[in-house]
This record gives sequence, C-alpha cells and structure tokens, in this order.
Amino acid sequence: MRSNGSFLGAPVAIVMTDRTLRARNITKQFDGVTALAEVTLEVERGSIHGIVGPNGAGKTTLLNVMSGFLPPTEGAVELNGRDVTRLTPQKRVPLGLTRTFQNLRLFGGLTVRENVLLGQHSRARTGFLSLWPFPTAGDRELDREADHALGIFGLTEYRKRRAATLPYGLQKQVEIARAISAKPKLLLMDEPAAGMTGQERVELVPRIRALRDEGITVVIVEHDMDVIASVCDVVTVLNFGRVLIEGSPAEALASDEVRTAYLGT
Amino acid sequence: MSAYTEAVTIKLGIAILLALGYWITAATGKFSFGHAAFMGIGAYAASILTVKFDWSLETSILIAGLAGAIAGAFVGWISLRLSILYLAIITFAFAEIVKILLESWDYVGGASGLFGMRGTTVPLVAVCIGIVIVYLFLLTRSRKGLSYEAIREDEQAARACGLGVTRISVEAFAVSAAITGVAGALSAHETLIITPSQFGAAQSLLIILFVVLGGVQYFWGAIVGAVVLTMLPIWFDFLEEYYQITYGLLFVVLMILRPQGIIGRGTARRFDLDALKRLVPGRTGGDRDD
Repeated sequence: MRSNGSFLGAPVAIVMTDRTLRARNITKQFDGVTALAEVTLEVERGSIHGIVGPNGAGKTTLLNVMSGFLPPTEGAVELNGRDVTRLTPQKRVPLGLTRTFQNLRLFGGLTVRENVLLGQHSRARTGFLSLWPFPTAGDRELDREADHALGIFGLTEYRKRRAATLPYGLQKQVEIARAISAKPKLLLMDEPAAGMTGQERVELVPRIRALRDEGITVVIVEHDMDVIASVCDVVTVLNFGRVLIEGSPAEALASDEVRTAYLGT
Repeated sequence: MSAYTEAVTIKLGIAILLALGYWITAATGKFSFGHAAFMGIGAYAASILTVKFDWSLETSILIAGLAGAIAGAFVGWISLRLSILYLAIITFAFAEIVKILLESWDYVGGASGLFGMRGTTVPLVAVCIGIVIVYLFLLTRSRKGLSYEAIREDEQAARACGLGVTRISVEAFAVSAAITGVAGALSAHETLIITPSQFGAAQSLLIILFVVLGGVQYFWGAIVGAVVLTMLPIWFDFLEEYYQITYGLLFVVLMILRPQGIIGRGTARRFDLDALKRLVPGRTGGDRDD
C-alpha cells in the first residue's frame, strides 16, 4: 500500500514564491555603455506587468535578456523557479516563455496560418517521421487549435494571405496569435500598441486581459500610457537602466520621480 | 534509346539530382559555395567501393550518400552557427581542401584520376530522382519543411517560435550533401573516369546556378533550372564558340527581369521591366509620384 498521506510522504513545506519570472540583478553592458544596471524584476503569476520608461531606459534590452536574445553581463533569469540564464530563446519556448517584437517579426512570405502553425513548433512533431503524409490525432488537434486561434484574433478570412501583405494592425494580431500558439505561461510583449490605430488600441486592452484570463502571465513594454494604465496590475518604471519605482499604475505613473524622468522638470 | 540520347538523359538526370539536393539547403536560406566537394566525396567513395572492392553500384551509391551526409553534417556544424559570409568562405575552402587531398592521394590515382567505373543507367538515375522528389514532396507539405522556410524568412522570429535554427540548418545541409553525394556517385559511373579537378569551383557554381536560375521558392524550380542550364549548351551548339557568351548574356538578362528565378513569386509583375529602366543612368525607373 502506498504511503499516501503518511508522515514520511507528507509534502515538504515550500514557500510558495508564485513568481513566473525573476530577473535578478541584471546588468547589461554594450561596449562599456551600461544599458541595465542591477535591475531586479519579479513577475507575479497571473498578473499583467508593465514596463515603462523614457526612450533608452533599457526596456527592450530587459525584454531581450528575459527572453534569451541577449545574455546578461551579470545577473540571472529564473523561469518558474528554474535558472534559464544560459538557455537560448528557442529552449525557453518549451518552458513556457514566448515574446513578440517591437517592430514585428513575422514570416512575411509565409501565410498567416503558416505563421500560427510555426508558433506551435515546440509542441508539434517536426522530426523525419512527421513527413509521413497521414496526420495523427495530435497533428489534427494542433491544426484545429491553429484555426481556433485564427478565429479568436479575427484572422480567419486572411489565413491564406501572405503575412507581409496584411495591414500593420493585423500583422500585430498575427504575431500575438503566433506567440500564444506555443501555449506559453508567460508572454513578453514589446510595444504591442506601437503603430496601431486608435481603434486597434482600444481593442488591444480587452485582448490582453483575455490572455491573462486564459492563464497567461503578461509582461508588456509600452509607451502608450493609456494602455498601461488600463491593463496593468503592476508597473515597473525604468530610467537610465535602473528601476525607478514599482507599484500599481496609479502610484507609479503619478509619482514625482516618473514625472521628472519623463518631463525632465 | 541511342547512346547519345542515353548520355544526354543521364547528364540531365544528374543535373536535376544536384539541383534538388542543393535546393534543400537553399530552402533554409543557406547557400553553400562548395557543394562540388560533396559530389566529389560521393563520387570517390562509390568508385573506390566498385572499382577496388567490387561492391555493387547500388550499395556503393547508398554509401556515397552516407559519406556526403557525414561530410555535410561536419561542414554544416562548423559553419552554420556563424554568419552567412562564413558559410560561404568555409564551404568554398572545404571544397578546395577536398580537391587538394584527393590530388595527393595516390590510392585513387591522385591528380590523374580514378577510372574503370561504369554502370549508371537511365532507370537507376530515374529511381534516385523519384525517391528525392517523393521526399521533397512530403517535406514541403510537412512542418519540417515549414520550419525550413521559417528559417529562410527570419531567423530571429524562428528562434522566438522555438525553432533550433542551427540544428535544423545542419540537418538540411546534411540531407542536401547526401543527395549531392549520390549524384556524384552516379556521375562517376557514367563518365568512366574521375579527377579531383572535376569537383572544383566551376562545378560548385554550376550547381548554385541551377537553383538560382530556377528559383528557390519551389523545388521544381530547381528542376527547371537544371534542365535549362544543361540543355542550353546542347541547343546552342550551332553557335559554336559564341555559345558561352550567349549563355552568360541570357542569364544576366533573366536575373535582372526575374530576380526570383524562372519559377516563383516575386514582384507582382511576371517580368520586372522597370528593372531595365533602373539600369539606365539618370532615370529612376520604377518610381512614380503617386
């Protein structure tokens, strides 16, 4: 008989950190220029965490360090309690981390649907056996899921179009659809509202909330303060590569330090 | 089938095989400048087995493919993690090294070559092409094929999607080198004699031209390129010493009009005539005010 519930089998008490991602003391230097100086960022599971700051504050650099596109000069990145500092971006995807890019990085010559299928890469069969022309139940399930994602993001009618031929706002949707097709636990979004029309920005907010409701923790770097204020639970303000303040959007954005950083007064 | 027709058909078949093999690595956006080396490795591997060890041609061809794959994986592994420029330099240098090594290897006749091979037939070449076409047909409809295209389109985006870019490129490169090795083996057993100089830069360039002319987008573009570039010298035979000039000129004009190759989508137009206008100095051809 199994010793379920017995004294010895009792779970060891673990302090539940409940942080999806921890970036600890991240320093990043480029040829002597310090882009990030001992930045620590803790992202709580299930939250929408905003990163704001003036141009050159190091927001995108931090995102690149967190997603593995840049190795930090010093410091460590932990994903769900695991040290991923030395892992390449592609090895972080199966661990539940995906991202979008500031200026869009779609496979422009491929169709919208193919872009979404590529988002599923880490979950799909892609070895030589996958050449066998008869799909397994798993393959079909992924295909259905991709079509479902296209539906959610209003892309069904464009699924056969080459991604580069879509208007910018729709291309942004494709990128988000592709990123969530990996079934991430954490999604890093680099300026999702940039280049969007006013209407698209309005639609973006509920869409990000919907991602959180699906269980995805979201980190969002954004210039648009309306988007940040209406969607984020926590905001970290960076300035000159350092954390200026962290708190609720109302606290952080209204603080004197932030006004000084942005307005220079 | 007359001996002449048979010879032309086999030559054409080998060209198609070389083009299809090269297309696989081109599909990932990686261009090798030394694919003749894999052809040479396959040619020598198979020839040694048939001539010196009396192996059957079919088995020797398989070993030639394997030898090509191993060499391809090795070259790919050291060069594909680097930039595209390093890939060009390393593949080019590798081909020269292979040529020099073969020239100084007395066992295979050194620079004067190895001879006594025969046995390549039209059906044998056809079977090899058939297998490769079935493979490519399945590949281009699979997620593996899609991952190749993704890497060609944007490596950073591919990494963000979880694609192991280096691993996938090396794999494609090795398969490409394997098919090139098989083509080399078939070629060796058709030409009766092989010398290291046959597998030099000119041969590498010819293989690249098959694919560039035909177009990288679809694998049958490579077939078209191989057919055109193999048949042109034969069709233009009547031009005698002028054929190479005509041939070169045709190529230049086509590349200006259709940079994406004969097959494939590029600009909206079937032929980019504005490209010709851009060649005229003092005019900005395709630009319009609206």
